[in-house]
Amino acid sequence: MKVTREQWLMVLALVLVATICTVLLGMVDEVTQGPITQAEQDTLYAALVEVLPPHQNDPIHDVLHISDADTGPVTLYLARDGQGKVNGAAFEVVAPDGYSGNIFILLGVDRDGQVHAIRVTNHHETPGLGDGIVKNHRWVDSFAGRGLVGTRWAVKKDGGDFDQFTGATISPRAVVNAVRRGLEFYQRHQDQVAAADRVAAAPGGV
Amino acid sequence: MDKQEIFAEGFWHNNTIFAQLLGMCPLLGVTTSAENGFWMGAATTFVLMGSNLVVSIVRGVIPKNVRIPAYITIIAAFVTVVDMTMDAWMHGMYLVLGLFIPLIVVNCSVLGRAEAFASKNSISDSVVDGLSVGLGFTLALLVLGGVREVIGQGTLFGTPLFGAHYPDFLMFILPPGAFIALGFILVGVRLINRWLQKRAAAGVVVGRLQEAAEV
Repeated sequence: MKVTREQWLMVLALVLVATICTVLLGMVDEVTQGPITQAEQDTLYAALVEVLPPHQNDPIHDVLHISDADTGPVTLYLARDGQGKVNGAAFEVVAPDGYSGNIFILLGVDRDGQVHAIRVTNHHETPGLGDGIVKNHRWVDSFAGRGLVGTRWAVKKDGGDFDQFTGATISPRAVVNAVRRGLEFYQRHQDQVAAADRVAAAPGGV
Repeated sequence: MDKQEIFAEGFWHNNTIFAQLLGMCPLLGVTTSAENGFWMGAATTFVLMGSNLVVSIVRGVIPKNVRIPAYITIIAAFVTVVDMTMDAWMHGMYLVLGLFIPLIVVNCSVLGRAEAFASKNSISDSVVDGLSVGLGFTLALLVLGGVREVIGQGTLFGTPLFGAHYPDFLMFILPPGAFIALGFILVGVRLINRWLQKRAAAGVVVGRLQEAAEV
């Protein structure tokens, strides 16, 4: 089959359009990459400050990577006091069983594995119903100070200690379960976190 | 058509939402608040202006048979630019709208303007068309978002209007509320149009009387 001149022109036109668009996007990507990383770090940092126990280090750059058969690789952001002792840690837990997609939660625990605070960082729960997991501050704060022992990790409807919302049980249930799994994960690796203490090390050294 | 007519046509008489009822997906998805509606509209306006501009520039060059894939590529490029720019410098809003920004590519009004207007008209006319259609779309999103936010949460642009004890009217935050609110807004638009028509008719009568008086 002979390719006509018109067909060549079509191919040429599409190739040109695609090339120009690709170059343009490459340039924009180059320009925006830095600010995007910065914005993501700022968002993470703002959430870290809220969930971490008191600390005097820079938790974004003071991390511990722990891999677990149940959870896969997890990044723990450490909170250290002035002496370098680990006061607690924050890490992301994912609730796959929300009402609409994954719920991402930043869980801050103190050294002994009790919840310091939690923040939902990303979710697609129903506005006005399930998004109480972000907006209902009393509910969010009801996690503070709770550990695996002495708390029934379920919503009240299921015989637990946590409120559900009017018309929304699935979202809070998913968050409660995810936080419990996070605490269990932390308990399994508590010695690794404690081993990250660097009381004896020179100030600022790793 | 002069620029003023193009603008009136895109912004009001042929408004994407009010007259054509196109672009319903972003309309229903993001208009839970006035601010969301505004920024979605602004993003769409930018894409419309950019794609109309480029499509108009290349209108004699792209062979007819491959114009649709070429237009879609151009539109997708502008949408990706908006996507990355918002991610970089409006991160908070990006987290809210992120899901809907890529969907601007498939907003039929964007390809519609490229095909129906920009591919046949001059560069400056096409930019004005993109701007007016975009602003008309923004107006619709802003009004619908505002109505849903006021009724659903008792706030406007995040500012409480009725004190702290406003009982949230959940249905207006959920998708059905968007349909109901849009229905009433369309009634309002029809009433305004009828009033405009009457005024125009009255203007014609007055003009004739004046002519008669002069004669």
